[in-house]
Amino acid sequence: MDRMMSARNLRVRIGATLALDDVSLEVGRGALVAVVGPNACGKSTLLRTLAGILVPERGTVEILGLPLHELSLGTRARALALVPQRPEVSAPFTAREVVSLGRYAVGSDWRRVDAALADTGLAERADVLCSSLSGGERQRVAIARALAQVGKDAVLLLDEPFSGVDPGEVARLIPVLRARADGGAVLVSIHDAGLARAFATHAIVLEGGKVVAAGEARATLTAPTLSQAYGHPMEETDGWIAPQLRFGR
Amino acid sequence: MVTRGIALLLGLLLVATAVRVSFGPVSVDGAIRMAFDLPSSSALALRGSAVFGAALLGGALGLSGLALQVLLRNPLAEPFVLGVSSGAGFGVALVLAGAYAFSAPAVAFGGEAGGAIVGAAATLGLVIWLSRSREGHDPTRLILAGVIVGSVFASATMLVEQMVPHGLRGDLMSWMAGRLPEIPEPQMLWVLAILVAAAALFMLWRARALDVACLSDDEVLTSGVSLGRLRAQLFLVAGALAAAAVAFAGPIGFVGLVAPHAARRLVGPSHRALVMATLVAGAALLVFADCVRQFIDVGTGRLPIGVVTALAGGPTFLWLLRRTRWTA
Repeated sequence: MDRMMSARNLRVRIGATLALDDVSLEVGRGALVAVVGPNACGKSTLLRTLAGILVPERGTVEILGLPLHELSLGTRARALALVPQRPEVSAPFTAREVVSLGRYAVGSDWRRVDAALADTGLAERADVLCSSLSGGERQRVAIARALAQVGKDAVLLLDEPFSGVDPGEVARLIPVLRARADGGAVLVSIHDAGLARAFATHAIVLEGGKVVAAGEARATLTAPTLSQAYGHPMEETDGWIAPQLRFGR
Repeated sequence: MVTRGIALLLGLLLVATAVRVSFGPVSVDGAIRMAFDLPSSSALALRGSAVFGAALLGGALGLSGLALQVLLRNPLAEPFVLGVSSGAGFGVALVLAGAYAFSAPAVAFGGEAGGAIVGAAATLGLVIWLSRSREGHDPTRLILAGVIVGSVFASATMLVEQMVPHGLRGDLMSWMAGRLPEIPEPQMLWVLAILVAAAALFMLWRARALDVACLSDDEVLTSGVSLGRLRAQLFLVAGALAAAAVAFAGPIGFVGLVAPHAARRLVGPSHRALVMATLVAGAALLVFADCVRQFIDVGTGRLPIGVVTALAGGPTFLWLLRRTRWTA
């Protein structure tokens, strides 16, 4: 397997809290990895560490075999892009202008910008101010910005990219992410384990900052593993995993 | 849109300049009165230097406001609202009072500027530190911290005023209201001109990074922008411009808020055009405010320019506060 990204023995603290403890992973070319786990299990911390935003207390991150911290900011911006959990735009830019900001380190390319807008279903809304878009549309603008930033042989890190996005748009975005994973690799943190099982090739389950399961998505995202991670019984119905719901009188 | 916007702002600046240069004190039978006239070449030179000073000051305040709005990702940030002008004013008041107490020779621009720079940097640092939270800078906390710190420094300046003799007190009080020099010292103009030119060139050079800096920290950091370095640079630019403006004319409010907003409406948010448009808008605003005060005499002479900008800028700030929802 052609290795795109790897992390070894990551230990990361956020203030006094140990957010990641001895986390290691390898992501090969073509992998679409779902990062799953309960709130505050370390999903965002893991993605932000892999993006080079957080510096681990211990451990290393490599991208295409090179230590991440040794890469210049420009090289890093060509090798990976991040969609954060809460994207922000604090100036009256249109969707198209925001997506074009992704090209800062790599040079202006309006064709790539327009292609990213089309991929995220925003072609018709390209000239609308971001502040006038719905929450789901703004989330898609952030995804489009990341798609425009890097080529097909790069790593995409997406932190809960589907929050606020309607199911139809999620269904349209998944093939786009799969296509990006074909040439590079994509890591997506997500709460919906059933959806993760449906679209991801691989999965990592985090609990309390530790990896409790990792491997191929279907084999990893099982009801027993997820029940333990979420502290709530999960059940598998027709291949779909969801929390058990009991409505008492 | 960009060319038309900048042309409109330049047109406003030219009109305001023409009005200001054509209007000023003339001597009639030994008495001074204000009138439109065709000034003599010496009067033209004097008024020209006053207009040049006002334009530079407006440009400095506008660019300082723009730098702060990017630095703090807050559309309501500007040196006066964040207390930076009051902090710089306190620094200058201390220098002037100290010079009086120790019978030092008349304090030159260097001394006042030193006090203003220390006061501005200390205030900006304090306000940013006070508004920090785990999530970054909380916009509400930032404005509150700026208002409170600014009030404390304004009160401290008043305390200094009470401790100095009557003559110096009057000078300090009128200077704290924002006093545009009628005959600016040439070296003051040079320092301000060099600072404004350097700040504008720097911001133009970093225009694209300033655009990216309007995204969330995580997006900026992974887009190839060195956010820490950019913020340190903007801190220096905003602080130096605000300090120089205060040393030149005292604390003048709201130009740093109104100029970038007016410019954004005319040329859009991209900093490549916005920097120049803000510079011209700030210049036009202050020269226009200087024109307005020439026509208003409340019996004690012309109004301090700070009063004119506050009367016009305060309501603008409140209007922006109600309608601004940029953070998406």
